[in-house]
Formats: sequence, structure tokens, C-alpha cells
Amino acid sequence: MNSQPVQPIGTVKGPGETPNDYLLIAPDPERRVKHGEFVYYLALIEGETREILGRVTGRRPVKLLPDSFLADPGVPPATVAALLGYESEATELFEITVRVLGFHSAEMGDFINPRVPPVGGAPVFIATDALLGQVLNKRPRGGRGSAFLGSLLSRPEDAVPIALDVRGFTGTHLAVIASTGSGKSYLAGVLLEELLMPHNRAAILVVDPHGEYSTLQEMMNLGEFSEGNYKPRVRIFRPDQLRVRIDSLTVGDLRYLLPNLSEKMHYQLGRAFNFAQRSARNGHYTLEQLLYAVRQTAESKKESEGFDEDDPTTGALVWRLQSALGHSRIFHDFENLELEALFKPGQCTILQLNEIDRRDQQVIVATLLRRVYQARMDTAKGKLDRGDPSHLPYPVFCLLEEAHNYAPANADAVSSEVLKTILSEGRKFGVGIGLITQRPGKLDSDVLSQCMTQCIMRITNPIDQNRIAESIESVGRDLLQELPNLSKGQVVVSGASVNTPVLIKVRRRITPHGGQDLDAPAEWLQWFAQDRAAEQARDQALFVEKKIQYEDDGDVLWA
Amino acid sequence: MTHLPIGKIVKSNSHIDYVCQVFGQGETLHPPAPSAYGFGSFVAVELETAGEPSRALVGLVYNTLLMNPEFGALGPRLSPRSEVEIFSPDYLAETATLLGVIAIGWLDVVGQVHQGVPAAVATVNCLVRRLERTELLTFHADDAGQPQLRYTPLLLAHNHALVAPLLLAVIDQLGELFPLSRRRLTVMRNNIAWKSIVQPAG
Repeated sequence: MNSQPVQPIGTVKGPGETPNDYLLIAPDPERRVKHGEFVYYLALIEGETREILGRVTGRRPVKLLPDSFLADPGVPPATVAALLGYESEATELFEITVRVLGFHSAEMGDFINPRVPPVGGAPVFIATDALLGQVLNKRPRGGRGSAFLGSLLSRPEDAVPIALDVRGFTGTHLAVIASTGSGKSYLAGVLLEELLMPHNRAAILVVDPHGEYSTLQEMMNLGEFSEGNYKPRVRIFRPDQLRVRIDSLTVGDLRYLLPNLSEKMHYQLGRAFNFAQRSARNGHYTLEQLLYAVRQTAESKKESEGFDEDDPTTGALVWRLQSALGHSRIFHDFENLELEALFKPGQCTILQLNEIDRRDQQVIVATLLRRVYQARMDTAKGKLDRGDPSHLPYPVFCLLEEAHNYAPANADAVSSEVLKTILSEGRKFGVGIGLITQRPGKLDSDVLSQCMTQCIMRITNPIDQNRIAESIESVGRDLLQELPNLSKGQVVVSGASVNTPVLIKVRRRITPHGGQDLDAPAEWLQWFAQDRAAEQARDQALFVEKKIQYEDDGDVLWA
Repeated sequence: MTHLPIGKIVKSNSHIDYVCQVFGQGETLHPPAPSAYGFGSFVAVELETAGEPSRALVGLVYNTLLMNPEFGALGPRLSPRSEVEIFSPDYLAETATLLGVIAIGWLDVVGQVHQGVPAAVATVNCLVRRLERTELLTFHADDAGQPQLRYTPLLLAHNHALVAPLLLAVIDQLGELFPLSRRRLTVMRNNIAWKSIVQPAG
């Protein structure tokens, strides 16, 4: 542990502004002390020399060549100094602020802050790659329960691999926050690849509103993902394959799906729902039975023992139910997405929700999450037998793209409630949630703050930045300031799955990326390509004029 | 071999600021060459009083002044210089080279060296000689053999225009005497050079 480095890079000046900061002075001619870089000093803790690790959070020059030496861009200022007799190359000196993380305790699996600033004049060293690889990761790369995301940004590629602790984010949830084009789907792809590696074999559900994740199917054919007789399975449910059985909808779902319900309709719907549930065999009922319940619970029914077609509330409710559920290909009387088909260890199920109305998407997600949560609870409590379709004897992880649609801030969505329940209680029953959003400002702050592992990529919008600052305590101010400056594929990971917040360059995906933007100019040029000339001529050709025949009375007979 | 005296103390401006008059022609058998008392030279002021704990003061030449009574006498000369040398050589001896010497330490009777303000006082006519290389090395080495410059605050407090170049000259000399400690001397040299060369020019 105590590998003595060759050369220190700076010297401790003294304590910083806060009790956890200290200042060091470094000439740093090779520019090694970057923002976010890890440095350490040696201190005697309980009789043992420990490396007290810290992260560089600020850099301020304390000695610079005078501005007037920079008057001619063609003349290096150092030569002006040499002209006057100052021939040393030491023309710069920096004051570096370091946030102390502490020494890594193998027993605790965490950093322990010594709670005392270093001695002034103590040498400070750059942390070696080996030391960082050892202390930043909760689990070694490729080990069971590890998800290798990429390597530390301040070091050469692959010098310090960073692997997330899968147990951390599948238990206490994950948030991936990034603006459009910063690589959030790519990162999610990497994460899913890792979860399906032979050392993880997770049971995952991906809610994919844009149909970006279908390329993950390649995993099934790639050698990297198989080991022995294990091979991951990727199942894609296209929009026309999605089914939600009508009796799995709650009265809340129904109210959400039916637009503009009056007070009376709300009341009657509640009664009808209860009626339908009471009268259903084995808890199952169809739309027709629900409509029957609506008619049975009509106010007028009490007075005249027969259904009055003219009752406006009943008519309106029946009409709304029919238009919302009856004409939908998703809401079905008998078919449902069976949990045992959706979740299996080593299987990634992708629900493609493109082409589906947003409210329907929310209801699909809400019903699904509710069923998964209930199934896990019932399984854990031993209420379900092995043969039951809802029997889920293993933890599951659900990744939600465009999560702000399912738990919006300042708006009501049917999926918000169940999401909040799972985020706060799901840990006990092994239901992990991963939220991906490009607008954290639009995401419910309670939801965001419940995700204990955060992957934050480039965020330029100040509202979004503020929401992150409000909801996520583990990311320090210094890292938040980095967010607008991150490049594509660079991510700040913080929270339960890493020992300390780290800035990572995301690794290359093994499977191709499916979320690239359309290349419009290339498509336009393609139109003029040689081999498309004939096709183009055909598409642009005028129709041949055809004689139109008329009937005797002047109507068109056929054209 | 002990260096020959280069001059004698003729005046002081303060407890540590002495004026040494360099021996001229006729005053000694071997008048010193100008290189013997150059700027930044270390000298020893031999104390005459016996029984005192201090044997000599260690000084540093920080300034030079030329005295010439003839300066300003612009009238016609009655006798040319060649004749003056024969008829009134005393008149020529009135020209003198004066050295500003700042006392930065002392040598005691048992041969120990000390840096800092000496307690002893030099008197008029005390002989001044160049410090030997071994004495210079001993004077600057601490117990661990590392160079020490404890008289630097004394020089800086002297508030003289030539203090910064003086310190640079001293550090350069020490760099040759203590090649193994050149790195720490460079830090000091860069610091002084920065403050005296770069910062005023900016």
C-alpha cells in the first residue's frame, strides 16, 4: 500500500477555506496537476503511514511572468526574462486546492477522512494508476458484480479502469442525466452490456421510447458475452406486441386514460370498477364486463330497474371507455405481457414504446412496474408458488429512457406514484430502477434524489444544473462546475456504486450504437447518387393521363 | 595559505557596516589586485584585542567607493604627475579605494564559525583579508554539511540597492562550493532573481 513515489509534484501550503480542503504549491511545468486529478500526502494514522487521497478542485497562479512581457506574441515571455538576466525555466507557480477524501480502509470499503489538515511543507504526490485502480473501485474490473464503464478521464485511456458496483445501483437505483447528444444512450448501452456479461447475468427490462436499443441483440452472437453454456438473451417487444390486460388497470389508471371526466363520472367509474372486480371470476374481467358494470352502477338504475340509455353520465363514460380501451391494440381483454417472459436472469427485454401515445406509455409503464413490484413482494413473502406466472424469484432491474415522462415535476402522471414507491421501497424486494433523462429539471425532485448512483454527463441548462445540485448531495460543487465543459462520452459518476465521485471517459461499446442522429446531408446526397437515378425518375414521373369515364348522371364511374 | 591583507578598517557607519581602505602603492609590499576585493567577496576582519572570544569578523564586500582629492580641481597643473611622484608622493597617496564591508558573522578563538550579527566590534586599522576557500566552506556549512545562509535577513534589512545582486553573487559562489545542494540554492536564487529582475521590470 505504501509504495513510495519517485517525485513529489507539490508542497502543502496549509489549510484551505473549508475544513476538508488544503492548499498546495506546485510549479507543475508538465501540467500534471489537472482539475479532478487525484493526489495524496503521507500521514501517520494510528501508527501506520497512510496515503491521504484528495481531489484537485482548484488551481490559481501565484507567480506568472508580468503581462508586459507578453506584448509581442512572436516573442516568448521567458526569453524577455532571460534577456534581463532571469534565465531559469521556473516562471510559473500555482496554488492548488485539494479536497481531502481520506485514506482508503479495506475493512470499511470506504474512504476515512483524517479530519486534520496536512503539515505545511509536506510533499504531495500524484496518485499512481495502481493505487487509484485499487481505491476508487468498489469491485475489480471483470469481477462478479462489477460494471466496467470506462477509465479515469485525467489519466491515459485504460490506465485506471473504473468499474461500478452493480449491487450498489441495482439496489439503490441509478440516474443517468445528460443533455441530448452527450452520449447517454451510449452509456446506457455500455451499462447494459456489462449487466449481461457472464459475471453479472442480470434480469433487465429496458423501456425504450425511441427504439434505440435494438442493436443490443448483437450481444447474443458475440463471444465476449458468452461463457460456458451461458449466452445472454435480448428480447425485443415491438409496439404491436405490447399488451396490457384491461383488468390489470387500476381505477387510477382508468381515470388517467379517460379525458375530461366530470365529478359524477369519477364517482360512477369508481363504483363500476369495484363492481367489476367484485363480480369478476379469478379477478379477471373484460372491457365488455367493465362496460356492463358501468351500466349496472348508473344512478338511474336504482330508480327504474333497467338501463336508461339516455343517462348522460353513463353514456359518456361508456363512450370514453370504449374509445380509450376498445379501439386500442395495447389494452386487451385477455392478453398481458407475462412477467416470466419479461424477466429472466441473463435476459434483457426491450419494450419499444415508439409510436405509442404518451399517456398510454405512462399507463403501460405504471401497470408493468406495479405488477413487477407486487410480484417481487409476493414472491419474497412466499405468497406465490413456483408455477405462478407472477413468480419472480430473482431481483430485477428496470431502465427507463426519457424518465421525465414517467415522473414529471409539476405535473401529474399515473406512473409517478408507483415509481416513487419502488424508489423508496424497492430496495427491500430487489426491484432496481435506472432513470435516464435529458431534462432533470423536468423530473420530479423526489424521484431524482432517491437514485443513489448518478451518472451525469454534459449539462448546459442552468435549470437542470440547479436541479442536480438540489437533488444530488454526493456530487460536489467542483464537479457540478465541470458539467457544462464535459465532452461527449465523459461522465461524472457518483454515489453508492463508487467510492468517491469520479470523472470517467466511457469505454467503447462492444455492440453497435443504435441512437445516432440521422445524417440529413448524406441522405440528401444519396438521392442524387448514380444508381438511384432510375428510381428518382420513377418517383418524380408524372402520371399518365387516363380517360375518365362518366356515368349517365355525370358521376365518375371509374378512373 | 592565509591570504595577505587587502586593507584596513578606517571607518564604520553602524555596528555591522564598516569601511575598509584598500592598501595602495607604498603601503604594503604586495598591493592587492582588484580581483581580490571584488563585489561579493568574503573577507575576514582580524580583531586586534587579545583575550576576546572573537578572533575575526566575517564580512562581505557590498560596495566600493573611489576617493580622489584631485577630482574637481580643473585648473592648470603646476607639476605633471611624473614629477609629483618624485617631489610629493604623499599627494598621490591621498587617492584611495574604499570598500563597504557588512559584517555577517564571526570566527571565534577555537575556530568555530557563526553567522549573524557579531557581538565584537572591529577597531580602526584592523586588518582585512580575503577569506580562504576552506574558511568559506566552513562558514557556510551547518552541522550536517548543508549550506546555510542565516545572514540573508541581515542583508535584506540593510536596504541597499545592491543587496539583491549581492545575494545572487553569494548564492552563485555557494553553488560551486556545495554542488550537491544546488537544487535548494536554485530555489532561493530564482526567488531573489524573480523579485529583483522580473517583477520590477514588469
